[in-house]
Amino acid sequence: MAALLRGLRAGRLLRGLGTVAAVPTATNPQCSSLRRGFHCAALRLQDESKSDKPPSSSSSSSSSAGSTYHEHYQAHASEHTETASHLGSDPAAETTNTSYQDQSEEQDEEYETEEQLQARILTAALEFVPHHGWSMEAVSAGAESLGLSSASTGMFDNGAGDLVLHFISKCNSELTEILAEQHNQVQLGQAERKKTAEFLRDAVETRLRMYIPYMENWPQAMSILLLPHNMPDSLKHLSTLVDDIWYYAGDRSTDMNWYTKRAVLTGIYNTTELVMLQDSSPDFQDTWNFLDNRIQDVVNMAGTAKQVQSTGEAVVQGLMGAAVTLKNLTGVNQRR
Amino acid sequence: MQRAVHTALCEWPQLVSPAMIRRSLKCRVPLQHSCRPYSVVPPLRNAEEGEMLHRMLRVDHAGEYGANRIYAGQMAVLGRSRTGPLIQEMWDQEKKHLAKFNEILSENRVRPTALLPLWNIAGFVLGASTALLGKETAMACTVAVEESISEHYNSQIRALMEQDPERYTELLQVIKEFRDDEMEHHDTALEHDAESVPGYWLLKNAIQLGCKAAIYVSERV
Repeated sequence: MAALLRGLRAGRLLRGLGTVAAVPTATNPQCSSLRRGFHCAALRLQDESKSDKPPSSSSSSSSSAGSTYHEHYQAHASEHTETASHLGSDPAAETTNTSYQDQSEEQDEEYETEEQLQARILTAALEFVPHHGWSMEAVSAGAESLGLSSASTGMFDNGAGDLVLHFISKCNSELTEILAEQHNQVQLGQAERKKTAEFLRDAVETRLRMYIPYMENWPQAMSILLLPHNMPDSLKHLSTLVDDIWYYAGDRSTDMNWYTKRAVLTGIYNTTELVMLQDSSPDFQDTWNFLDNRIQDVVNMAGTAKQVQSTGEAVVQGLMGAAVTLKNLTGVNQRR
Repeated sequence: MQRAVHTALCEWPQLVSPAMIRRSLKCRVPLQHSCRPYSVVPPLRNAEEGEMLHRMLRVDHAGEYGANRIYAGQMAVLGRSRTGPLIQEMWDQEKKHLAKFNEILSENRVRPTALLPLWNIAGFVLGASTALLGKETAMACTVAVEESISEHYNSQIRALMEQDPERYTELLQVIKEFRDDEMEHHDTALEHDAESVPGYWLLKNAIQLGCKAAIYVSERV
């Protein structure tokens, strides 16, 4: 057990040394992290040699244990980076460090970490959008606000598209959480179940309100989404959004209604978004009125469609009755 | 696969909220909100599995829907003849199958195929036209369609068994049960002089070709 702990500590120490060794050209912030890493590593080395019994045996056993536990440690690299890291948890050192490690062993956490890191940078970049617009400047400002170098924007080969798509997907997730929460409330009996029209109205309003902080630059974002290489992703996000809203509205249809409902809601959502772009009324009241009217239209149309269908059926039955009467009158029905 | 396992292991709430899990798994099934603990489809592990299962369920649903319409077409013509009750009985079983698939689709948020109106009309026309040609032709049509569907279910069962029979136990059970029902219809139709139709071989193969095309298209659209 003690050997295990020693091995783990040695593993951490080795990783620290690795970090220190692996930083290439150091810029100023990285210089300080380098010094910090070196300092911590040196401290630990001292600590190690003081606390253990014969330094030679401990170092030899810990180095052998360290090599075997190095792999074991790498598997937990992601947890250890999140929890207190002895090296000051500098993300820049971390990213440069992982690129020098064994790729095949670390494939999994590296991919995970990179995705999460990208998400973090993009989320931080959102703050700078009102100032810089939906552009790489906002992303580099975001990266810098996290303490990373602005060169880390090189990760995003789609540029502003990545930022906008990340924002859209973040908004969709937030909406889904809100809808799920409301659904829970209804299940627990703590809230009344809303009628479909009202539910749709509230869901679309909630979702569009998330754009309000970015309204100045939203036309730019929309034009970015319309670029051919962003179209598949933006359509996918839109279809996910509409499907989620209908699912929580209670739609469980498995026929053509599935498609017509989603098409209708997509139309409502897109037109309302466009109206919102050029709305200057206080708190976008005009937009919400427009939304109300569109949903009312749909409800009316659905009602009319049902009426037409039942009228049609009644008419057909009437015609059949008339035909049978005629046949009886002319004697065609009799068998002689 | 490794990544998915790692993601599952790292599912500790300090870092990853349910919404993030959903996003990272690209999984569309609501994690916390299935109303019953029992479900025919197991909780999805990753996007590829979801894709595969959704495709299977979509085409099965389309198949049952089409079979329903075929029997409806046959009943419209032969409903008042001697074979009416027989066709009605087979139709009722197909209705049960369709209801089951409707339930599975809506529970798992599977998109139904966009070609449903096409199968609606095509199925009805096929059923009605074969029934117009006579009772034996209607039975021959039933033989052809049921054979196609059984073959299709068998290949799905094989695919699921290859992947992981334990994981898909309930789904396999459902498909096996339906496959057995379809084979029963096939045998019943054979008993009722399906093979006595002139041009039986031609008719059967033509219908089976149509079914194969329908299955291929429904999997993708």
